[in-house]
Amino acid sequence: MSAATVAGVQPATVPLTGRTEHTREQVGGKAWSIQHMLALGIPVPPAFVLTTGVCDAYHRSGEVPPEVDAGIAAEMSRLEQEVGRTFGHGPHPLLVSVRSGAATSMPGMMDTVLNLGMDDAVEQALAAETGDSSYAADTRRRFVEQFEKIVGTTPPADPWEQLRLAVRAVLESWYSKRAVSYRAARGIPDTGGTAVTVQAMVFGNIDDRSGTGVLFTRDPLTGDPAPFGEWLPRGQGEDVVSGRFDALLLEELAAAQPEAHAELMGAAETLERAGRDVQDIEFTVQSGRLWLLQSRSAKRTPQAAVRTAVLLAEEGVITPAEALDRITPAALDTLLHPRLSPSAVAASPAVASGKPACPGIATGIVVTDADEAEDLADEGRDVILARPTTDPDDVAGMSVSVAVVTELGGATSHAAVVCRELAVPCVVGVGTGTVTALAGQVVTVDAAAGTVHLGRLPVDPALTADDPVLATLAQWLRAEPGAADAPTVVEMLEARIGRAVR
Amino acid sequence: MIERTRLLQALRLKGRARVDDLAAATGLTADEVAPLLDSLVAEGRAEEARDRFKLTPDGRDELAALLAAERGTVDQDALAAGYHEFDEHNSALKELMTRWQLKDGTTPNDHSDQAYDDAVVADLADLDARFRPLLGRFVALCERLAPYPQRFDRALALVRGGDHSWFAKPLADSYHTVWFELHEDLIGLAGLTRAEEAAAGRAL
Repeated sequence: MSAATVAGVQPATVPLTGRTEHTREQVGGKAWSIQHMLALGIPVPPAFVLTTGVCDAYHRSGEVPPEVDAGIAAEMSRLEQEVGRTFGHGPHPLLVSVRSGAATSMPGMMDTVLNLGMDDAVEQALAAETGDSSYAADTRRRFVEQFEKIVGTTPPADPWEQLRLAVRAVLESWYSKRAVSYRAARGIPDTGGTAVTVQAMVFGNIDDRSGTGVLFTRDPLTGDPAPFGEWLPRGQGEDVVSGRFDALLLEELAAAQPEAHAELMGAAETLERAGRDVQDIEFTVQSGRLWLLQSRSAKRTPQAAVRTAVLLAEEGVITPAEALDRITPAALDTLLHPRLSPSAVAASPAVASGKPACPGIATGIVVTDADEAEDLADEGRDVILARPTTDPDDVAGMSVSVAVVTELGGATSHAAVVCRELAVPCVVGVGTGTVTALAGQVVTVDAAAGTVHLGRLPVDPALTADDPVLATLAQWLRAEPGAADAPTVVEMLEARIGRAVR
Repeated sequence: MIERTRLLQALRLKGRARVDDLAAATGLTADEVAPLLDSLVAEGRAEEARDRFKLTPDGRDELAALLAAERGTVDQDALAAGYHEFDEHNSALKELMTRWQLKDGTTPNDHSDQAYDDAVVADLADLDARFRPLLGRFVALCERLAPYPQRFDRALALVRGGDHSWFAKPLADSYHTVWFELHEDLIGLAGLTRAEEAAAGRAL
């Protein structure tokens, strides 16, 4: 290995490739996961690491070890070659990200600096290359802000000096007050040190064969086992996630760039199998070349959590016991009641939320006066009575409403007591002015979740006991040693957790 | 005159009320209430729709004026002291109501556990007994409140007799309904509003 060494123990600056086998302790969590993805054959923007040994040497001597500069220069030149760009000048400038990385992540460590390598000429080159001078200016502005916040000084003009300062800031942050007290509180020794990961930035806004997107290996709302994602041609960075732009469906990528799409699908399947769970993947296509930026376990609805766990076990990716581990009784219980369609909730997220007082789902027109509620109900309209708080004279109006929402009050409030007696869905304490302001509009109240949504949202029916998912879960639960034969699947699952605790 | 105020207030609190409900709330018989109601309708203070009576805007105005005048006759310091004590009983009642409706705070009480229900009813009777002296002071402060003791008596007797709907049933003179209306009367007598009280964490 040609990399320079620190005190002859471990190399100071190491490349990340599909063949490297650095430990988390040497390179930190971030670099370790890049290395892991590379080993799976996943196309990840090229990167290298200053190992934790550098941190140790820095804090012993107060200086970055002299061989590190040469190591950085060599590795930067490799990055330049791999992405076909050059650091510090155009016409195709290379920008990099600089991140801290300890074996275990901890607060107080220096966060990420993105788009490092900017100066006047680089900004101009980027503007010319993307045909978008406002993008180039915005990227530079964000870089300067982030650098100032994290490194603590205005970025120097020289990109190499920017890199040196950012590296030093990461190393310094190992002994930041927060990091030190975090380690002290958890008994993590100070000797571990942080690594510094430097990675090439890739651009989705270079040309018409570029773009950025997100992919879920399965639908995170329904658990439908087909990849689901969005693609924004000529998009960059947070453009898709932020929702500021109208992204296209992944099928558009398949039509425009079938090779990149096929490679993405292959990578997604590999990552899901290796991660043994649904993945949420961020990717960029730069001039027809696919790069994966991040892959992590996807957040999901209770419905998707249950369905995915069962399907992954049926596909042999995880065991039935692991599937059961991943299903909470609460998540399963939500499937046993009628619930708002998750995709409809995604399209019309809650405009107000409070405490559930009496469960149920109802759609109707918002009325803020009990008398008016009675009048409209007499005409056969479905009304939702929204009040700051309820008075005795509201009770008649409550009794003819399909749901009641109060802005003040808790689960023992008069409104809650009355609605439970009347079996009227009720949400309490949604906040002053939130729902009464919707007077005259049609809303849907999910009083089990405690949320209010604009419009009429479709309702998914409750699973019945003979549903295949429930039947499969019941079968797995009964097959476990020591299984208690409780009357419902939810109770069997609860009993299973009870056994694990004991 | 005090019966007229009681009736107007009962009409307001009950929204659209049947004669029987109004009789229960005013401490009169149905036969006594009927002519009073007829004159309110004749004067444009109330109106009838499908055997139910409700206030007209004129009726609301008259009630507001009557209650404002009444407030001037009440010893506000004594009322404020009583209302302060009421808050504690109110919290206890709300907790009882929740126990009556929910087990463990979340599971609906399906009333299949007789021992559980009996314990809550016993606690309601205890609360009622503790609360009666204060209720007596309120009646002494404002004569219009005089029907409340017998309304509580009736609801509690029905609950103890096994008809549990009189615990919390809305739109009937259940214990909770009577309590809810008394609370509203106290808030009004003290010149407060429910929204202010709710914001202060008392009338929730």
